[in-house]
Amino acid sequence: MKDSPESPLIEVEDLGLRVENRWLVRKLNFAIGAGEFFALVGNSGSGKSTLLKTLAGIRKPEEGSVRVNSPTTLPIGMIFQDLQLADGASALKNALSGSLGRHSFLSTLFGFPKYELEEANKLMHTLGLSGKSKQWTSTLSRGERQRLAIVRSLIAHPSILLADEPVASLDQDWAEQTLQLIKDRQGHQNGCVVCSLHDLDQVEDHDNQVLQLNEEEPEKWSLIAQERNTP
Amino acid sequence: MEPHCPRKKYTLKTENPQIAWHSRFDLQGITFFLFIILTFSSLPALEGSGRDLDYWGNIKRFAGQFFPPDWSILNQTVGGIWETIQIAALSTGFATIISIVLSFGAARTISPLWIVMPTRMLLNVIRTIPSLLWAILAVVLVGSNSLAGVIALSFYSTGYLAKFFSEAFESADLKGQEALLNLGAGRIQAFQYGLWPNLRPIIWSHCLWMLEYNVRSASIIGYVGAGGIGLHLKLYAESADSWNKFSMVLLCMLLIVSILDLIGEKVRKSIREKLEGQASQKDS
Repeated sequence: MKDSPESPLIEVEDLGLRVENRWLVRKLNFAIGAGEFFALVGNSGSGKSTLLKTLAGIRKPEEGSVRVNSPTTLPIGMIFQDLQLADGASALKNALSGSLGRHSFLSTLFGFPKYELEEANKLMHTLGLSGKSKQWTSTLSRGERQRLAIVRSLIAHPSILLADEPVASLDQDWAEQTLQLIKDRQGHQNGCVVCSLHDLDQVEDHDNQVLQLNEEEPEKWSLIAQERNTP
Repeated sequence: MEPHCPRKKYTLKTENPQIAWHSRFDLQGITFFLFIILTFSSLPALEGSGRDLDYWGNIKRFAGQFFPPDWSILNQTVGGIWETIQIAALSTGFATIISIVLSFGAARTISPLWIVMPTRMLLNVIRTIPSLLWAILAVVLVGSNSLAGVIALSFYSTGYLAKFFSEAFESADLKGQEALLNLGAGRIQAFQYGLWPNLRPIIWSHCLWMLEYNVRSASIIGYVGAGGIGLHLKLYAESADSWNKFSMVLLCMLLIVSILDLIGEKVRKSIREKLEGQASQKDS
């Protein structure tokens, strides 16, 4: 992946997140540059999903600010933990629906352009879904649905990809391949990835920065910048 | 070494409090009690004409006239049934289109309350009027023909379909739609690719059920002149010695309704299985 340029894609300053009366994190500061893979780790309930939703702009922070500097039309794409797929549609339609932001309503009323179809098929093939493209999404396994949600988000070409436990239901091989694909795609288009992960081994293989959240003491988060994965 | 504990004798005391007699009379109990009273108080309705009739003999003679069915009227019967199916198909089609529009207005998750309330009220009124009454009104308006049948069943079906569709809209999972909005899709695009695929199988299942129902209804509304096989039934029932023709019509109707039931059930089962697949995958 490429070195971060001077102007980061995401800047977080003195961020504080609270759910009901409990602070999840306080005084959080970090910046993510283009080409970076930023990993979030922490126990369940430590605030990883809440932080991702705040970065996505879905919820407002209680303290501090999040600044997104993106030159592309779609600054942020998010892979949700509950996947949020259209279960009654075919897997291919779900994958293609990620590209809707680039097309007008009329041009996608009866289908998608051929080049979008080719990209979707290619990505689905890479993630082992090529034989499932015509199948109803509801009939796919949890792992297949998770890979499909990743394909949909990648087809959207976001400059910042926020992924909430994107490989939680995948076995080790698929998890490895999937994270590599996410990292390569985002790096290729000078974007970045913010990814919450449970498995610390996966973090070691991919991250440029690791943010460890502390459930007990919200102000004692730790940020570890690593250089070994940066070419 | 385990500490020595002196053994004590315990007697298990079981409490058996008496259940208060009035505690059985919750809403379910009261309605059941009222139903029993109503049933027994309705017994005088079994009195009949009061004449000393040979019921068993009547049934045997009447049933005997049904057999064998008169196959000579097969062509007219098939023509009448085809008209019945046309009435059912057209009215289901029209009702589906009108219902999709009305269901947007009747769904709390889509429209504001000031649109929801009058739309639901309108649908309640439509449902209150039985199909036969709609048929009489339509015959008065456009005369005795199959158009009257289409109008009558379109209104009748709209009352039900719009209610079913609005319930489907209200219970639909909106997250697929929201995810696409987050990925930059327009509102209509997000509906088309994020929500509609989840609604489509449920709506299609309701439409199939309505089509089956309308084939049965279209057979009856002919009795009041709204076209279809019902008119044939009326003619045979009113003319003497035509019960074998009547039974021929019933036989054809039984066949058609059974085939439709079979196809409808097969399609609905396939939809159900796919939707259940969806549920089990989410749990895994």
